[in-house]
Amino acid sequence: MPVTRAKTACKLRPAVSGDEQKRAAAKAWQRYAFAAIPAAGLLELGAHVVQTHSVAPDADWKAAREFVATHAAPEDLVAFAPRWADPVGRQEFGPQIATVEREARADTTRFARAYEVSIRGAHAPDLDGWHREDAARFGGVTVTTLTNPSPVHVIDDLVSHVDPQRMRVSRVDGGHESECTFAHGPPLAGGLGSGPAMPPDRFVCPGGSNVGTSVVADLDYYPHRCIYTPGVGGDSTLRLRFLDVVLGSSLHGHHALYVEAERMKTGAPVTITFRIGDTTLGTIFHRDGDGWRAFELDTSAFAGQRAEVVADIVSPGGQRRAYCFEANTQ
Amino acid sequence: MNEPLATSWRSRVLGVFALPDRIGWRDHVIGATLAGAYVAWLVATARVLGFPRDEGVYFRAGATYFNWWRTLIERGGDALRLADGAFSDNHEHPVLMKTLFGASGYFLHQKWHVFADATTAFRFPAMCTAGIALFTTYLFGARLWGRRAGLVAALLLGLMPRVFFHAHLACFDVPIMAMWIWCVYVNWRALDTGKLRWAIFAGIVYGLTLATKHNAWLLPFALTPHALFVHRRATLAALKRGRISLPANLVSMALLGPLVLYAVWPYLWHDTIARLEWWVDFHMHHEYYNIEFLGKNYFGPPSPKSYLPVMVLATVPSVTLLLFGVGAYARGAVAVGRLRAWVRARSAPVPGAATTDSRAEADLLLALSLLAAITLFFFPRTPIFGGTKHWLPAYPVLALFAGCGFDRVAAAMQTALPSLAGARLQAAQAALVASVIAAPLAVTAHSHPFGLSAYVPLVGGTAGGADLGLNRQFWGYTTQDAAAQYLNPKAPNGASVFLDDTTWDAWNRMQEEKRVRRDLRASGNPGDAQIALVQHELHMNEVDYTIWVALGTDAPAYIVRQDGVPIVSVYRRP
Repeated sequence: MPVTRAKTACKLRPAVSGDEQKRAAAKAWQRYAFAAIPAAGLLELGAHVVQTHSVAPDADWKAAREFVATHAAPEDLVAFAPRWADPVGRQEFGPQIATVEREARADTTRFARAYEVSIRGAHAPDLDGWHREDAARFGGVTVTTLTNPSPVHVIDDLVSHVDPQRMRVSRVDGGHESECTFAHGPPLAGGLGSGPAMPPDRFVCPGGSNVGTSVVADLDYYPHRCIYTPGVGGDSTLRLRFLDVVLGSSLHGHHALYVEAERMKTGAPVTITFRIGDTTLGTIFHRDGDGWRAFELDTSAFAGQRAEVVADIVSPGGQRRAYCFEANTQ
Repeated sequence: MNEPLATSWRSRVLGVFALPDRIGWRDHVIGATLAGAYVAWLVATARVLGFPRDEGVYFRAGATYFNWWRTLIERGGDALRLADGAFSDNHEHPVLMKTLFGASGYFLHQKWHVFADATTAFRFPAMCTAGIALFTTYLFGARLWGRRAGLVAALLLGLMPRVFFHAHLACFDVPIMAMWIWCVYVNWRALDTGKLRWAIFAGIVYGLTLATKHNAWLLPFALTPHALFVHRRATLAALKRGRISLPANLVSMALLGPLVLYAVWPYLWHDTIARLEWWVDFHMHHEYYNIEFLGKNYFGPPSPKSYLPVMVLATVPSVTLLLFGVGAYARGAVAVGRLRAWVRARSAPVPGAATTDSRAEADLLLALSLLAAITLFFFPRTPIFGGTKHWLPAYPVLALFAGCGFDRVAAAMQTALPSLAGARLQAAQAALVASVIAAPLAVTAHSHPFGLSAYVPLVGGTAGGADLGLNRQFWGYTTQDAAAQYLNPKAPNGASVFLDDTTWDAWNRMQEEKRVRRDLRASGNPGDAQIALVQHELHMNEVDYTIWVALGTDAPAYIVRQDGVPIVSVYRRP
C-alpha cells in the first residue's frame, strides 16, 4: 500500500503541477505580452536600417557589367530583374549591352542564351522555364546564365529591313500608289498621351504619314521594338514592301496599337495583309484591347526562297491608329 | 534652515509643471508645443521638396483669391463684379485653404519677408493645419484616455510618412484631415459638455470643413447617427410629449455649416444652386487618372477592393498599426461589455444597475468617423489615383486608437513590473514611448523628399514597394531632385529639358526660387530637347520609350534613386 500510494502520488503530483505550470506559464506570457509591442517597434527599426543599407553599390553593377561584356555574344539576351531595376541596368551597362533590341524584344523565343542581371533575388518572368546554367555573384548583383530549352531560329527580321535599300513604302489611295521617301529629320515625339515617337530616319509619305522603327508600350507597359505605321484612315492603304526577304516555314510576328488607344477600346480595327507575289499569306486584325498580340502565317511553300514580302495596312478610321508591328521569318 | 527653503523652492517649481488630472490649459500648451515643433520640422524640410502639379494651380488660384479679398476691402462693391472672374479658377475645389495660401504668400513673403521663398509662404497654412491635427489628436486622446495616450497618438500621426509628405504641400489633403478630426472633436465636446457654445462652434467648424475639401460631405454619415444615439433618450422623451428634439450640434451644422461655406466662397454668391450642383457633379463623376497597384496600371473602374487595406499596411508604420489593433480591440471589448450589460438589463432589470453612457459615446463616434473616411474606397467606382491621400481623414482616428493601445501596453508594463517606481518607472515609460516612435520617426525622416515612394519595412521599404508594383510617385514633383543632383551641376549652358510630368508653373517657380538653374529651358517635346526626364510611374514608361527613340539612346545619363529605386531617369542626347 505505501508503495502504491507513493506511486499514485508521484503520478498525480506531476499531472497537477503540470497544469499549474501551464497556467502559470500562460499567466507569465500574458503578463509580459506587452513586450511584444516594443519588440515589434525595435524590429521595425532594425528592418528599416537593414533595408536602407543593403542597396547594391555601383561597383557591384560595374563588376557585373564587365562579366557580361566579356561573356555575352551579340545574339544573347541581357535582361534585368526586378523590373524596376531596368533603368539602373540600362544606365550601368550602357546602350552597347543594354541595346534597344534586347530591351524592347518582341519576346524571348529567338534568344538561345540569356544573362539575367538581378538584384534582391529577383527573376525576369519572361525567362521562366529556361535552364539555369551558371550564376556569378558580384556583391549585391547576380548574373545568372540561362539557356532557352526551345529557341526559335529567326531567319530574317523584317524590322531590320527598315532602310531605303531593303524596304519600299507607299501610300495607296484608290488605285493610285504614291511612293514615300526615306528622309532624315527631327524626331516626331511628344509627352504623355502623344503616342510612340517617330525616329529621325523614316519614310515620309504624301499626306503626312510616316513609317519608321519605334518602340511601343504594351498593355503592361513593357517595351517592344516594331515598325511604326500610324494609320492613314479611310480607304487608304499603307504598303510596305520588304525586299529580298529570306523565307522559312512561317512568318511570325506581333502587333499592337498605342497603349492608350488599346485600353480605351474606341477605335476601328487595323488589318494587316501579308502577300508574296500573288499569294496572300493572310490577313490579321488588330482590335483595341488586343495588346501586343502574336500572329503566325504559313510560308512553307516559299521556304528557302528569297522574295519580296508585301504588307498592306488598312484601318477605316485614322483616329489614334498608332499601329506598330514586327515580323520575322522562321 | 537652508534645507527646508530649498525643498520648498523645488516643490514650488515642480508644482508649476505638475499636471493635474483635469485636462486644461497645460494640455493646450503641450498640444501647441507638439504642433509648433511639427510645423517647424515641416518648414525646415520644405525647400527640398519640389512642386507637384496641383500645387502650381493652388499657388496661382490662392494669390488670385486673396487679391480679390484685398480688392473687396480696398474698393468695396467694385470687387463684387469681379468675383466670378477671380473665383472661376479652380472652382472645383472650395476656397478656404487657397485663400489662406494666398494670404500667407502676401503677408509672410511679399510684405513681411518671413519666408524667403514665396512657395514656403504659400505652403505654410497647410503645414499649420498639420499642427492643428496633432494638437487636436493630443487633446482628444488626453481627454478620452489620458495624456500618455494623447501624446503617443499625436506623435504617431505626425510620424506617418505619407502624412509628413502631404503636410508640406499647399494642397487640401492634410488640411481636410485636420478639419475632419477637429470637426469630430468639436462635435464630441458639444455633446459631452452639452454647452451651446460648443454646438455653435460645431456648426462653424463644419462650415470651414466644407470650405476645405469635399470629403466633408461624408462627415454627416458619422456625426449624425452618433449625435442621434447620444441624444436618443431626450429625443424619445420629446416625441412622447409630441415634440421634436434634435441634438444642438446637428442643428448648428445644418444651419451654420452651409452659411459659412457660402460666406467664404464668393463663387457661390451667384447662381448658387447651379454652381453647387456642378461642384457635386464634378466630384461624383471625376475623371480617372493612372495609378499603379500591384504591378497593374489602373485608369478606370472597377478599382481594386484591396487597394486601401494593402496601401495602409504598406505605408503606415507597422508598430502604429499594431497599437491601433490593441487599442481598437480594447475599446471594442469595452463596447461589447456594455452591450452585454444592456441586454442583461433589458431581460432582467436590476434597480440601480442601468448601463451608463461612456463619455458621449466617444468610441462610437471614432469608429463611425473612421468608417466614414474609408468606406468609399471599397466601392469599385471610386477612383484611386490619389494613393493614400484621399483617406488621410481616417488617420487621426487610427492614431487615437493607437494611442489608446499604447496606454494599455504601458499599463500592462506597470502591472508586469511592479517593482518599477519613481524615476525608474518614468525611464521605463520613456523607453517604451521611444520603442514605438523610433521606427516611425526613422522611416518618416528617411522618406523625405520621396514620401510618395516610401513604403514601410513590413513590405521591404522603398525597394519592397517597388517589388510589389506599388506606385512610386505622381504629380511630377521630383524634377527638383533631378535638378539638384544632375541638371544644376552638369547640364550644358542653356540646355533644353523635357519635363515630362512637371508643369510649366512648377518649373518656373523652381527657377524663380533658384532651385533650378535659370539658363535651362523647359521643353514639352523630347524630340527638341537635349535632356529628357522621366518621373517613374508605370504608365510613364510610354514616355520613357518615346525618349529612347527621340534621343537615340535607352541609357539614362543619371538616375535619381531612393534606396536604389529609380525615381527620375535623366537622359542626355548623345
